[in-house]
Amino acid sequence: MPSFKYHQPKTLGEALEQLNTLELAVPFAGGTDLLSSIREGVCKPDHLVDLNNVPELNYIREEGGYIKIGATVTHNQLVASPLIKEKGYALHDAAINLGSLQIRNRGTIAGNLCNASPAADTAPPLLVLNAEVTISSQNDLRVIPLEDLFAGPKINSLEPNELVTEIRFPVPPSNSGSAFHRIGRRKAFTLSVVSAAAYLEMNHDIIEDIRVAFGSVAITPLRLPQLEELYKGKQLTDQTMVELGETVKAHVAPISDVRGTDEYRRDMCPVLMKKSLNKARERIR
Amino acid sequence: MEYDKILTDLLGRDEYLVVGKNVIRTDALDKALGKAKYTADYIPKDTVVVKILRSTVPHANILSIDTSKALKAPGVQGIFTAADVPGDNQIGYALPDQPFLNGEKVHFIGDPIALVCANNEYTAMEAMEKVQVDYQELPSILDVDASLAEGAPLIHEKGNIAVTTKIRKGDVDKGFNGSDVIVEDTYWSPYQDHTYMETEAAYAIPEGPNKVTVIANGQSPFLIREKVAHILGWNLNQVRIIQALTGGGFGGKDDMGPLTSAKAALAAVKLQKPVALVWDRDESIAYSNKRFPARIEYKSGANKNGKLTAIKVKITLECGAYANRSPFWLWRQTAHSAGPYIVENAWIDGNAVYTNKVFGGSFRGFGDLALHFAAESQMDRLAYELGMDPIDFRLNNVLKIGSKTTCDQLLDHSVGIEDCINGVKEASDWVKHREPVWNGKKVRGWGVGCAHHGISTSRSTPDWSAASLLMNQDGSITYRTGIVELGQGSPFGHVKIVAEILGVPSEDIRIELPDTDSTLNAKPTHGSRGLMLGGTAAAKAALKLRENIVCAAAEVLEVPAERIVLRDSSAYDKNDKDNQIRLKELAEEMYIRGYDPGAYGFFKAPKRYFDPETGLGVNYSVYTFAATVAEVEVDTETGEVTLIKVWPAMDCGKAIDPMMVEGQIEGAISQGQGFALMEGMELRDGLVINPNFTDYVVPSSMDTPEIEPCIIVEEPYKHGAFGAKGVGEPAIISVVPTITNAIYHATGVRFNTLPIKPWDMYKALRRKPQ
Repeated sequence: MPSFKYHQPKTLGEALEQLNTLELAVPFAGGTDLLSSIREGVCKPDHLVDLNNVPELNYIREEGGYIKIGATVTHNQLVASPLIKEKGYALHDAAINLGSLQIRNRGTIAGNLCNASPAADTAPPLLVLNAEVTISSQNDLRVIPLEDLFAGPKINSLEPNELVTEIRFPVPPSNSGSAFHRIGRRKAFTLSVVSAAAYLEMNHDIIEDIRVAFGSVAITPLRLPQLEELYKGKQLTDQTMVELGETVKAHVAPISDVRGTDEYRRDMCPVLMKKSLNKARERIR
Repeated sequence: MEYDKILTDLLGRDEYLVVGKNVIRTDALDKALGKAKYTADYIPKDTVVVKILRSTVPHANILSIDTSKALKAPGVQGIFTAADVPGDNQIGYALPDQPFLNGEKVHFIGDPIALVCANNEYTAMEAMEKVQVDYQELPSILDVDASLAEGAPLIHEKGNIAVTTKIRKGDVDKGFNGSDVIVEDTYWSPYQDHTYMETEAAYAIPEGPNKVTVIANGQSPFLIREKVAHILGWNLNQVRIIQALTGGGFGGKDDMGPLTSAKAALAAVKLQKPVALVWDRDESIAYSNKRFPARIEYKSGANKNGKLTAIKVKITLECGAYANRSPFWLWRQTAHSAGPYIVENAWIDGNAVYTNKVFGGSFRGFGDLALHFAAESQMDRLAYELGMDPIDFRLNNVLKIGSKTTCDQLLDHSVGIEDCINGVKEASDWVKHREPVWNGKKVRGWGVGCAHHGISTSRSTPDWSAASLLMNQDGSITYRTGIVELGQGSPFGHVKIVAEILGVPSEDIRIELPDTDSTLNAKPTHGSRGLMLGGTAAAKAALKLRENIVCAAAEVLEVPAERIVLRDSSAYDKNDKDNQIRLKELAEEMYIRGYDPGAYGFFKAPKRYFDPETGLGVNYSVYTFAATVAEVEVDTETGEVTLIKVWPAMDCGKAIDPMMVEGQIEGAISQGQGFALMEGMELRDGLVINPNFTDYVVPSSMDTPEIEPCIIVEEPYKHGAFGAKGVGEPAIISVVPTITNAIYHATGVRFNTLPIKPWDMYKALRRKPQ
């Protein structure tokens, strides 16, 4: 492991100051992605700013019509949260299958999103939940839609002195449900070959709102709002799902790599979307 | 002497005390708690680190190697190239085609060019970037057909075919003419990485200028010693290898142990400082030996009575850059071509072909995995073509006592395949599972596969083993074997054999780490020979020691030796059990009265031979047989295949420890499942592009199917202690075709290429005519 200086700020203010003033400083929480990229020489930080001692970054709460999740919340914290299971089931689905138990104990939600992998499992659920990201720096604070955090494969839109401090999504109405499905190369501890999340708000058989998002089918996690619009007010039938699925296939741009073929990823979008839509509907109380 | 009859003929008992019972291994707790010491655990902090500078091109002449800049970097201790090798730089296993360090030419991406030694790993890695290697690139050959093409560039001087094999038996044309059905296909078996938990590692300590000690992992400390001495130009007694507990081998470390230790030893001797060489996982996956890929073109015929009439098989083995073990691998495939069945007419040709890719080497199953994938797929096809049940068709052709193998070897005893097949047939309720079962978009199917595997070395190489025992003055016993512990537990099997013979609890016998300065050469832990050969040597040592103990006891107890019984750590008179002495006290008496407290056992396997023109002869001392049934579920929407359940059976002669047999079988099912459904080395222009566990995906515990208790068939082998035959390799061989045959049963899709990833299954289902 190459050498770097290690900092342990106790407050968010201290952390933001360090990120603002230190050269080549990188925030560190779980380290599950960061340490391997340091080992491989992809990332060469001079300073690591450890956020694990900043209590104000670790919470899951409902407040002002939002479910708010602090940046250092681990995947296992998500899994254990009744609030997430009740109001953001798709995120629960994603977290419970992410990596291994050890990874889920260390890896954090902000880390998973800021790593900006097209295969990040928490991204599609949060996209369909209309998530927003709070970004702080020593002198600024802004809130952006999650979509705008992803700038490209493994590239986020943060400035070097910026830190994601919170992820939030509006509390969904009671006539809604969400779900997430993925295909991996084994049953556990593996990256998704392709994944899909779905969110539904129903008035009996009529779709009031429908949102779908996909992982590993484009250069970033992908939501398709323009397609969703077409189905609002319609009935949710098998035929609707087949139609939507076919349209989705035309809008995704997967690649072929050692983790799967483009054809397969494309063809699995409707399959996983349908599974997620059906599960989301089941979950409407 | 017939070693399967030790119990009745020599010990005069009809019940076992230790053998055949499940015993908790004495190393189990330490291993589970992470306390067991592996090679890297012996390396002190701040030891000089060796990194291997490797070729970055698949095929080239080396014009120059300039280390001057790198040598000036702070913290660099030395850099060694082929020019620094004092002994013989030629280290090929079977053929002289593999340099120890490549100084003139490179043959694949990963060939070792220089050993860079520095104070720490990152200094070494920075120094590696400063070494300048100038290449004259040559056209690279990346598949067997390109290698065999007329006018193909030569990878090695003697041509691109490393070795050939053949069998000519009966009259295949006549056989095919008498067939009612003929099936023919080409099967591909790809590279597989061993993915042992512990990567290659060696810690070398110079003991003055004329001796070196290496603590290392491997599969034969004696082969390691031989190769270290070879490149140093030293005698064997100048090299001491201590084999640490080893975290998995599966054949891989049989080759990698010597190659890794020799590098560490050279650096240590040159620097006159201890050095450590520990491979990274990405190095291990990309550059260590692999399962040899093979293409098997297979034609077989059967008549309407359900009898196999002829087989014609053409095997093209891909060596990669070096022949390494290919002559042995190819011959094993050739000799086992028919599977465990009788066939009168056989025409088999094998070629092992060089390419500019990572070289193949030993791997559990040693050729028989690929071969049985082809042979068992063919058997399944013939059965379906004939409208016969796949199990009944197999039973119709299976080898029995008195049968002859494809190589005309008469099997006069120890043939239990028929019982294995009947066992899994019954256990799996086979006859009730002859139709696929649908549940929504998922479908389940059941398949069968069989295997046979000749135990011990291939190509009739002489085989022998040795072991030693020492009765200490307090009655405790020290056991030394060169058969190594790499997770499988062979030495613990030996100890049970010894315990049975000496009448002591096995935990009273301490197994020393193999140390070439004090352990006898047992030959390698490969070929599933560790228990069969090593255990028989242990039995011979124990029988000798027993004789000394019995004689001493007879003298002390003043009764004739014939009346002495050894049991429960005591010796007593069988006519008067109260006339007894504890082994503790007897041991001291042995020393005082002059009875030799040490014993060694040396066992030579029966001679084997074959005619190179016809391939006929006695090829293997004995065969282990296995059969498996599997239930799979295919998700026809996603192409995901789930291995639901496996029913295994094995004829292992005698299960010295049924729990260890079970351990081998469960591990093998997982490894076979990975090979069939998940793994797959991806190469681009000769470079392995998935050298990590992110993208070289092996099964996790969550993927492991339900495994029924193994049906253990015991057809004893007369030259194996208590009748035992090898287990490790035969356990994996039938697994792969069992899975593919079950997939066929479920979906009607037959795969002849591995692995079957979800997208392959999905594509095949879409293409299947409805």
